[in-house]
Amino acid sequence: MKRKFVAAAGVAMVATLALAACSASPATESAEAGGPVTLSVSGWSIATTPEFQLLADGFEEKYPDVTVELKEYDPVNYNTLLTADLAAGSGPDIITQKEVKFVSTFQEGGQLVDVSDVELPEGIGGTEAYEIDGASYAVPYRQDSWVVYYNKALFDEAGVEYPDGTWTWDDYADLESELSTALAAKPAFGGYQHSWQSTVQGFANAQTPKADILSGDFGHLEAYYKRVLGMQDDGGQVDFNTRNANQLTYQGEFGKQKAAMLPMGSWYVATLIAQQASGEADDFDWGVAPAPQYDAKTTGIDNVPVTFGDPTGLGINAAIGDDKLQAAKDFLAYAASEEAAQALAAIGITPALLNDDVVETYFSVEGSPSDELSKFAISTHETLPENPTSTKTAAIQGILGDLHTAVMSGSEPIDSAIKGAEDRVKNEVGLD
Amino acid sequence: MTGLMVPIEDRRGLRKLADSEPTPRGPRSGSPLKRVGRFAGYTVLIVAALALFAPFIWMVMSSLKTANEVFSVPVTWFPEIFVWNNYVQIWTNSDMLTWIRNTMFLSIVVTFLQVLTGSFAAYGFARIRFPGRDALFLVYIGTIAVPWQSYMIPQFILMSELKVSNTLWSIVLLQAFGAFGVFLMKQFYETIPEELSEAARLDGLSEYGIWRRIMLPLSVPALASLGLLTFVNTWNDYLGPLIYLRDPNLWTVQLGLKSFVSNLFDTNYALLFAGLTISVIPIAIIFLVGQKYFVEGLATSGMKG
Amino acid sequence: MATTTATDIAGTDVAVGPSPSLRRRRSRLARRNALIGWSFILPNFLGFALLTLVPIVVLFYMSMTNWNVFGTANWVGLANFQRLVGDGSFRIALFNTLYYSVLHIPLTFVVALGLALLLNSKLRGVAFFRTAAFFPYITSIVAIAIVWNLLFSPDYGPINEILRAFGFANPPGWLTSSDWAMPAVVIVSTWRDMGYYMILFLAGLQTVPRELHEAARMDGANAIQRFFNVTMPSLRPTTFFVTVMLTINSFKIFDLILVMTEGGPGQSTLVLSQFIYTKGFEESQFGYASAASVALFFLCITVTVAQFLANKRRSA
Repeated sequence: MKRKFVAAAGVAMVATLALAACSASPATESAEAGGPVTLSVSGWSIATTPEFQLLADGFEEKYPDVTVELKEYDPVNYNTLLTADLAAGSGPDIITQKEVKFVSTFQEGGQLVDVSDVELPEGIGGTEAYEIDGASYAVPYRQDSWVVYYNKALFDEAGVEYPDGTWTWDDYADLESELSTALAAKPAFGGYQHSWQSTVQGFANAQTPKADILSGDFGHLEAYYKRVLGMQDDGGQVDFNTRNANQLTYQGEFGKQKAAMLPMGSWYVATLIAQQASGEADDFDWGVAPAPQYDAKTTGIDNVPVTFGDPTGLGINAAIGDDKLQAAKDFLAYAASEEAAQALAAIGITPALLNDDVVETYFSVEGSPSDELSKFAISTHETLPENPTSTKTAAIQGILGDLHTAVMSGSEPIDSAIKGAEDRVKNEVGLD
Repeated sequence: MTGLMVPIEDRRGLRKLADSEPTPRGPRSGSPLKRVGRFAGYTVLIVAALALFAPFIWMVMSSLKTANEVFSVPVTWFPEIFVWNNYVQIWTNSDMLTWIRNTMFLSIVVTFLQVLTGSFAAYGFARIRFPGRDALFLVYIGTIAVPWQSYMIPQFILMSELKVSNTLWSIVLLQAFGAFGVFLMKQFYETIPEELSEAARLDGLSEYGIWRRIMLPLSVPALASLGLLTFVNTWNDYLGPLIYLRDPNLWTVQLGLKSFVSNLFDTNYALLFAGLTISVIPIAIIFLVGQKYFVEGLATSGMKG
Repeated sequence: MATTTATDIAGTDVAVGPSPSLRRRRSRLARRNALIGWSFILPNFLGFALLTLVPIVVLFYMSMTNWNVFGTANWVGLANFQRLVGDGSFRIALFNTLYYSVLHIPLTFVVALGLALLLNSKLRGVAFFRTAAFFPYITSIVAIAIVWNLLFSPDYGPINEILRAFGFANPPGWLTSSDWAMPAVVIVSTWRDMGYYMILFLAGLQTVPRELHEAARMDGANAIQRFFNVTMPSLRPTTFFVTVMLTINSFKIFDLILVMTEGGPGQSTLVLSQFIYTKGFEESQFGYASAASVALFFLCITVTVAQFLANKRRSA
């Protein structure tokens, strides 16, 4: 009885493995070349994330022969679900690259088509994230970068001048402290820092010269963390533990005017405009300033401020049928084009292509800030990747995430945390 | 059937005798000191009950706030203005009815199958001796010892090959044949005296008959608890439907709610809590109604060995 | 319940002694029993074998490969396991899992049993209290994490307020402190699980014959003596079941911790299930994650088998 059962299990197991290794054929019928074609594109929260439908509609208008079907995924578990689908052979034709840290895994596993031959407009940002071994495996359509949002009304109340883009992080810390004292009666804080590791590490990695997390050296984080802990102790911002215990949201804190400044990604512009329109956020004047810099070399509107951010891109499923390949490449080209960039900018998304015309459209949305500094902050920046493209990134980011929670919660001092993280990288990830 | 079963009237009499025994804690009401003790006991229980309900109460209160009001320093219990619209939004703007229908279907079918096949298999394990039985049972238990996310991918590939992925049947297959039900029922069958089945066999009843006429009726509390726990687990299951039910019209309540209230950066917790409050009501009702079955068994005659 | 005699169709005990006709009858009987036994088990077993057993067997195979879900699975033998032994995070996860279990299992067991004993009555209003005890289990885990985070807030939370009122000048940091995060998680987890196990105990308490209680009381035994000499022995199949499930579920704990602390601060609440999930789904090292799963499996099985043997000995 048991022997037969083991044998049956063995057969089933081998069968499953064979299927997994082959990554079974896509369930699409092959149409004649040039005939009508359906492309499936993966997206998330389709109802509340209009960019996917926008790209789909725009593309269908240009290429009437092609129907674009959006495949909806849960945003938080996007990668897990996509992985499961790809493993079972039911993945989408066009794989939206939500996070750069998974690109290497997809590419290594042979899931992405080489798209180096897709034509991209000049000046488009974010392409380096998808280059592996000299070839391109995805095309960016959107590039977010981190800036600082500031509440003009609260600044006025505190009697403090608006930022002018010439600040370093030390200036920011001083300003925050000054604002908190002035606004203590409201009550409001000078600034709000969200709990993500990127709020400290993103800047530290991008702005410190020669910093590279893939090297396994994290000494450059010390200065940034010491400063942030100081900002907490000064009362400039809500401390990490309270923020976590009360599950504060950055939309709530800035939108309800509990903080005068907020370092955050450029995606928040669209959200803030929408929330002010719906009443979920208070009605107040606000602007966007370039992120504070490492030192005075890159401050001010005559220089290019350094910040961080990752692109969002589109890749093509390697299992796609030959008849669809050209249509898929056309879709990628369209998404990166100026036409699509204009359409995206009109709904408040920062496209990968940010020339002057696109920026104009971006700021013509009702409710967006109209001052020069905001335009500068959004359009002019050197954006370094938050997640370098490598198979080691996910593991290293995990280790750094643990460092972040340990240090910010006060459980571990920064120097021993850094040493611990460096040891962990050597032990668990390996450096070669 | 056989004369070995205690006749109903005698059973009732025995039960009344047992019921007149007060709970292990409280003595018979009498002296004022003991009455104060009981009053204190009740107060402690009520405070404890409030503590147990507290998160739920906070959730319901928060469901009536605006999204940005839910979290703040300091914590607020009462909304500034009562946003009843959250509930209206869930009912009218979302597909709540579809989700409830799907979840109901899944919970009922899975519970039914799990209780049926589980108790059926448990009888085989508990009462029939055959070679390899104990080892096989250990294999059953062993599978509980593996976390689901470990074998989720091979299982998903298998289900996709069977073409049931992205249908409601995938969840049914996933949950209805677990080891938990078999284990639970086997333990309960072991408390039923062998002599009852012996006598039934003497009367010519087949094993299947014994299962249906003796084991099942005597294990009502166990069946009730298995049923309830399976129902609750299926109702609240999130990861299984997440992986297998991709079509929006297949979504369960947990799945649909999550998708309705959040996008990548933002979750409207007030809306989410409104939906979760609605979702808890069927379970609470089932529990309130069904819980007497946990304690309503038929008293076994005094034949424990 | 273990018998050393065979029971044949007629229901009479047959001594275990060999004689040709007897042996023939017994082998026919054994075959018949096997057939009947399997006929009961088969409906459940078919679904179980196909959908659970096969993927788990695949998992065991995967633990000895370096599969990353997409590529081919290359055999690496025991390399993954060697790597586990040297992996600092794995050791931390293992320690934390054991730490959690050692606290959680007895605490939940005692509280659930106590609740069941307390609420095993027909007093008015007991239905309300039973519902209250069960409510944490059916409340959304998101709401639970949020509310307990608030309660445990070191500066503003009510728990520390009360502690300070009682004179503790420096109350623990709970979820914000790497020393106190795990105890805090254990408290929440027990609070959540006690209703679940209470139900199992309640059902089990119904199998305790009231006549024995009566007899014992008439013999002059008090409540405590009755508990230990009548209730507990009769409850053994249930306590065994609860202990095994509680142990396995404690070793496997995942979703509550993920939602409450995500393994932090630092790695102070990192448990094996989360380690497995991270390695598998965030770092795409499925072979390695499978090896960790196999390690977790062996941990559970060893303890379960020990519990089985202990139970068998006591029932013999």
